Amino acid sequence: MKVIVSNIQRFCLHDGPGIRTTVFFKGCNLKCPWCSNPENIDFEVQEYFKDGEKNVYGKEISLENLEKEILKDKDYYEKEGGVTFSGGEPLLQFKNIEPLLKNLKEKDINICVETALTVSTEIIDIAIKYVDEFIIDIKILDENSSYKINGNVEFFYKNIEKLLKNNVNVTFRIPLVPEFTVTEENINKIYDFLKIYKPQKVEIFKIHRLGESKYKSLGKEMMEFKDISDDKILEIKEKIKKLNIEVDYIKI
Amino acid sequence: MKSKLKTTIKNIIGKKTICHLRFSKLIYRKKYSKDNKIIGRIKAFKNTKIYYDKNKGEELKKLFKGIDVITISKDKKFYNNFDFLKVNCFTNSIIDNMCIDYSIILDNSFEDLKKSLNKNDEKFYLTELKTIEGFELLIDRIVEKNKSNKNIVNNLQNMKSKKADSLYEALQRILFINMLLWQTNHKLNGLGRLDLILIKYYKKDIENKTLNENEAKKLIKEFLETLHDFYEMKSSALIGDTGQIIELGGESINGEYLCNELTYLFIELMEELKLPDPKVLLRVSKKTPRSLIEKSLKCIQTGIGCPLFANDDVIIEKLINFGYEKEDAYKYGTSACWEPYIIGKASDPNNIRWLSFMNPLNDLLENEDLNSFTNIQDFIEKYKEYLKKYLDNLINQINNMRFEKDPILSLFIDDCVKSSKDISEGGAKYNNFGLTSVGLANLVNSICNIEEFVFKNKEMSFDEFNKIRKNNFESNEKLLKRLKNSEEKYGKDSDKILELANDLIKYTTDVLKEKRNYLGGRYKFGLSAPSYIDASKNVPASFDGRKEGEPFAVHISSDVSNGYTELVEFASKLSYEENRFNGNVVDFFVSPNFISDNFDKFVDFLMLSIKVGFFEMQMNVVSSKQLIEARKNPEKFPNLVVRVWGFSSYFKDLPDDYKDYLIERALKSEGNS
Repeated sequence: MKVIVSNIQRFCLHDGPGIRTTVFFKGCNLKCPWCSNPENIDFEVQEYFKDGEKNVYGKEISLENLEKEILKDKDYYEKEGGVTFSGGEPLLQFKNIEPLLKNLKEKDINICVETALTVSTEIIDIAIKYVDEFIIDIKILDENSSYKINGNVEFFYKNIEKLLKNNVNVTFRIPLVPEFTVTEENINKIYDFLKIYKPQKVEIFKIHRLGESKYKSLGKEMMEFKDISDDKILEIKEKIKKLNIEVDYIKI
Repeated sequence: MKSKLKTTIKNIIGKKTICHLRFSKLIYRKKYSKDNKIIGRIKAFKNTKIYYDKNKGEELKKLFKGIDVITISKDKKFYNNFDFLKVNCFTNSIIDNMCIDYSIILDNSFEDLKKSLNKNDEKFYLTELKTIEGFELLIDRIVEKNKSNKNIVNNLQNMKSKKADSLYEALQRILFINMLLWQTNHKLNGLGRLDLILIKYYKKDIENKTLNENEAKKLIKEFLETLHDFYEMKSSALIGDTGQIIELGGESINGEYLCNELTYLFIELMEELKLPDPKVLLRVSKKTPRSLIEKSLKCIQTGIGCPLFANDDVIIEKLINFGYEKEDAYKYGTSACWEPYIIGKASDPNNIRWLSFMNPLNDLLENEDLNSFTNIQDFIEKYKEYLKKYLDNLINQINNMRFEKDPILSLFIDDCVKSSKDISEGGAKYNNFGLTSVGLANLVNSICNIEEFVFKNKEMSFDEFNKIRKNNFESNEKLLKRLKNSEEKYGKDSDKILELANDLIKYTTDVLKEKRNYLGGRYKFGLSAPSYIDASKNVPASFDGRKEGEPFAVHISSDVSNGYTELVEFASKLSYEENRFNGNVVDFFVSPNFISDNFDKFVDFLMLSIKVGFFEMQMNVVSSKQLIEARKNPEKFPNLVVRVWGFSSYFKDLPDDYKDYLIERALKSEGNS
């Protein structure tokens, strides 16, 4: 079995607890305009040009070699750290990589996944079996506008319920995008959601434009976004705090 | 009359030699510096007075009679003066770049030292006796000039007949002997394990209430500042290269990790002072408390490049396996940079010469018919032939060197007094010479690229490839980029790279193993060296994508951004066995925000890295942005300190090529190149 991976990054300190190796899978079913990894939207290996030179995003790798790469930093994982699967939407690869997940589990490697949960429930069943930490993006919960990112609110709720029923560790992350996630309707939906599900911890973050050159290399243009004010961020933080939920503003 | 004439002639020859030696060293530094103070110093050396006597002890006595003695102002606690316009004569190399055992002067008086000398060995006895008399004479002269300063008078007078009795006294004694070393042409004088040596005085003072913790802190702070005096005069190859290293912490032979209040205090003071000099090396092991690593990281965060970490779990075993006695191995310190050195027991000149792995490669490429090679293995075998020739020649050169008689070192290095033998004649317990090495990364990457382009992909013949290289890759930018960015590289923990690197260094050991130096000791080497810029000047382009004259790779480093765990994993799999332990430092850049945003995880990283097994580790905590700004506007960053090789320095004091290389490495580590 081979999968397509755009990057394997060691010594990641922001993608879950401890010291981690993050694997970026290619392929996503959402189309968030603020995406910082536009090279991971398409499922296939992609050619691109930078400074007049041809290069590719993505590389086929066997599960065996992927495991080898993940285990290279085993000495640094200890109890907390481990591997984080990111993307793209990594859960879309979970059927393919189940043997790898199984091996990692046997070797006691902590597994974390960064997901938007817009996948079939069948995949969630696999994930529950192996994943120790879920980092879940809350993006658009407003049914009327979730189409803008190709989202599916119904799937999201269904999967969340399933996960929480199984008592898994969850960290929610909210990207703060004025035009999309911080609209009046949507942010209120998010508060409502948090009120009901009462997660232990929520992280909020401002989007950045570090991926802009990657858009260009793919012949795309990254959309311009309004800047969100510090006051607004503070307001959101306070509102979440009032729900008795720990909230962190992370700077990327 | 006849002997007087002889003395005069020797005096003149000696004078000429020393002037020549010092002058050339300074001119070399002048080349790099626009600093008026330094140019002024070069002029000053023309007026240097040189003392000579056929008896080295008498010569030192004359020197101590002649040097300037000053009156210390009332607000200063210590006497410390260095009269660099007066020197004693030397015609051979000086043994330095080492560390004497300062506890000898704390636990003994000059009277005790005299008593320890064997009168039956008249020549050695008289030389050492005169040397000690010289110390006493100097103390009398200082006391005479500082009569009204009771503390200075007592602290110095007591050296003659009493053991040290307080922290204050102990610190003054260390400064006094240290000052004598600088005064007598010794460079790169280490300070030893001061936390362990000084703790008993500290504890006693606190118990007796002669000092409180705050006063002790102030005292040690002034001690460190006093060591920093004459910073430029003490510097060797570059400003900042003083070798004033204080070793802290470390495992004992019983397997217990030794650290105390002073270990923490020294690191805390370094963090407060933010001086590039003196420097601190912290011996660490799996047993080092987390709080000490945290304290160290806070100091490192200031960017002053210290402490350097030396990993006892790796180093001690190597020292024992090589042949240092177990008890001695556990007491190791370092030479001026990071070369493990048995404090107070060895002559071991650990930086006697550098070897460049690239020199034999260039000879090979010049002299062999390259197209006759059909596979990389044959090529590597041929390289080894050239390496052997190169090493044979290097060692022959070293074996022609002789050391100057050294009565001062002989007093403080075992077993010179016991055997009544000067250190230059093999009086020390250990006499192993150390080489540093440079260019291994460039060699390994070159070999990988040759294999890839010539033998595997067959993109061109070896000859064609070599022509492009000799032409400095002119109008072959694309190829150059590919060579630089090849997948397999030194610093990446791939089995192939490690196998190749270990094969090459093991072969180096095989050649050096049989060789003996003139004192009967052996040769050792390590994989880090100060010479990454000097050794690469005028060296033609190389297959790793290095253009002509560009610097070699620094120590054990990689240009993968954020690749810290990978680099440490790689370094821990290099083989430091046999004689390959003469300094192996992992060196990298971290941006200041990265540590402050992830402090606890970075402490985890350091602690786990000790377990993974690096040999030594140091880092620069600075952003490329700051370095670039400081390069343009040095006046705005007068106190910006960076780590250079085994020392830290003010960025503004560095030669431009060093500044540029630091910027280049910072950019690479940020992923911007």
